[in-house]
Amino acid sequence: MSPWFGGMVPQGAETEMSPERGRRVAWVATSILPFEPGVRAWLARSGFPTDQADDFIQEAYCKLSALASVEHIKRPDAYFFQTVRSLVADSLRHARVIRIESVTEIDLLPVYSDEPSPEQALSARQELAQVLGLIAALPGRCREVLALRKIDGMSQKDIATRLGITETMVENDVVKGMRIISTALKSGNGSENASRRLRTNGPVRLRRRD
Amino acid sequence: MGQYDSAAEIEAAALTWVARLDRARDPDELHLELAGWLANDPRRKGAFLRAQAIWVKIDRAALAESHANLPARQTRRWAMAGGGAGLLAASSVGAWFALVGRPVNTAQGEVRHIPLPDGSSLDLNTDSQIEVGMGRKHRGVQLHRGEAWFQVEKNPQRPFVVEAGRARIMAVGTAFSVRRFDLAVEVLVTEGVVLAWLLGREAQAVRLEAGDKGRLDPDGAHRLVSAAAEIDRRLAWRVGKIDLADETLEDAVSEFNRYNRRKLRIKGSAVASRRLYGVFRIDDPEGFATSVHYALGIPVEPQDDQIVIG
Repeated sequence: MSPWFGGMVPQGAETEMSPERGRRVAWVATSILPFEPGVRAWLARSGFPTDQADDFIQEAYCKLSALASVEHIKRPDAYFFQTVRSLVADSLRHARVIRIESVTEIDLLPVYSDEPSPEQALSARQELAQVLGLIAALPGRCREVLALRKIDGMSQKDIATRLGITETMVENDVVKGMRIISTALKSGNGSENASRRLRTNGPVRLRRRD
Repeated sequence: MGQYDSAAEIEAAALTWVARLDRARDPDELHLELAGWLANDPRRKGAFLRAQAIWVKIDRAALAESHANLPARQTRRWAMAGGGAGLLAASSVGAWFALVGRPVNTAQGEVRHIPLPDGSSLDLNTDSQIEVGMGRKHRGVQLHRGEAWFQVEKNPQRPFVVEAGRARIMAVGTAFSVRRFDLAVEVLVTEGVVLAWLLGREAQAVRLEAGDKGRLDPDGAHRLVSAAAEIDRRLAWRVGKIDLADETLEDAVSEFNRYNRRKLRIKGSAVASRRLYGVFRIDDPEGFATSVHYALGIPVEPQDDQIVIG
């Protein structure tokens, strides 16, 4: 089975791994994920605690998932940021579960620099090194399971047979490995270029600009 | 409604979904359950998309290095040895990730040369699909559709096996092509020796040598002796040519139609059995039709989407 989709199912935009969905997933992998650390850094600078930042990020991915097309998006990093920013603005407006006392106006949040970045061109190579490094650093059996799945192209079932463990243990190792990688990708472990994309105009000043 | 999962819980569940779907023999069965889970909270849809993106990110990132064609030994060390060695070899893993376990396709009219991590290579013909799987004890390629010509790097310890449906073609160091038809598989050996058999009928394997043509159909594996010259002609697609020597017009037309969107169509059965010689550009059905017109005196009528011969 193709690792592209982790095996997918018909019907329904999200659950189906249609060619369009496959392209969307690939687009997110190459054009959005690398910029997540920068957007998270912005959320942190804006005073949001991690769990709340996680909510915004997940909701932003949901918006990306629902888009009819992404072809019009020239700057995925800026688009992703704007998506998060408008979610933040909405939540400030509705003042639902807001736990920040200091910031009450979206305009007072740090700004995002829209200048093109020379580092962007380097990102593919850096990402490769980053992801491969992350896998190589996984704990023993977890790394072996991912290697057999991805390098040897073995099914989870065959991996279970080869390693003499249950299929459930293989699945758990896959989840564990992905979780470690997922966590590392949040902080941009090893890829500075993404966070450097976001610049503030200095420290946040809680001053209204009348 | 009452439940409000934390983002961390949702993320863990989304990653588990991706692993579960990867494990499932029939992911369709999980569809309703997944749809139900996704429907409950927009963050779940987001987390699921992100989890899928992480799953493919490894392959995607590796594409950037897909031409780094490094020796298999290093990649094995990465896969099985400790973390330190892993980092050392990490940069060489790209080629594997790009190829292994991911189907590779060609569009109609496209021919691709694909180097494999072990030093072997293959030429993938029009409208074809393969998947590469490399293990410690064997090297393998699944031919899902179409035709490919393989040049196999010698390694008796790791035989190279092509799977095409139930057909199996094994080589240790040689060159051969495999083409899938609806019910049969054709093998042309250009160098060395291969062994071909049907799954479950290993005892009836046939040995094919350079210049041999083999055929595997529901009846079993057969060796059909054929001249080496015919094999070269049949593999002329590797250099963008169709080489005809006494083929019928019908066969020639179906060969051109494999590669081109603009189809050739024969009007009337009388001309279909006329025979032809000549070397033609694979992407030039018009040129071929013109030659047919002059050589055989058959009328040719170019239309918008097709060319009618006869």
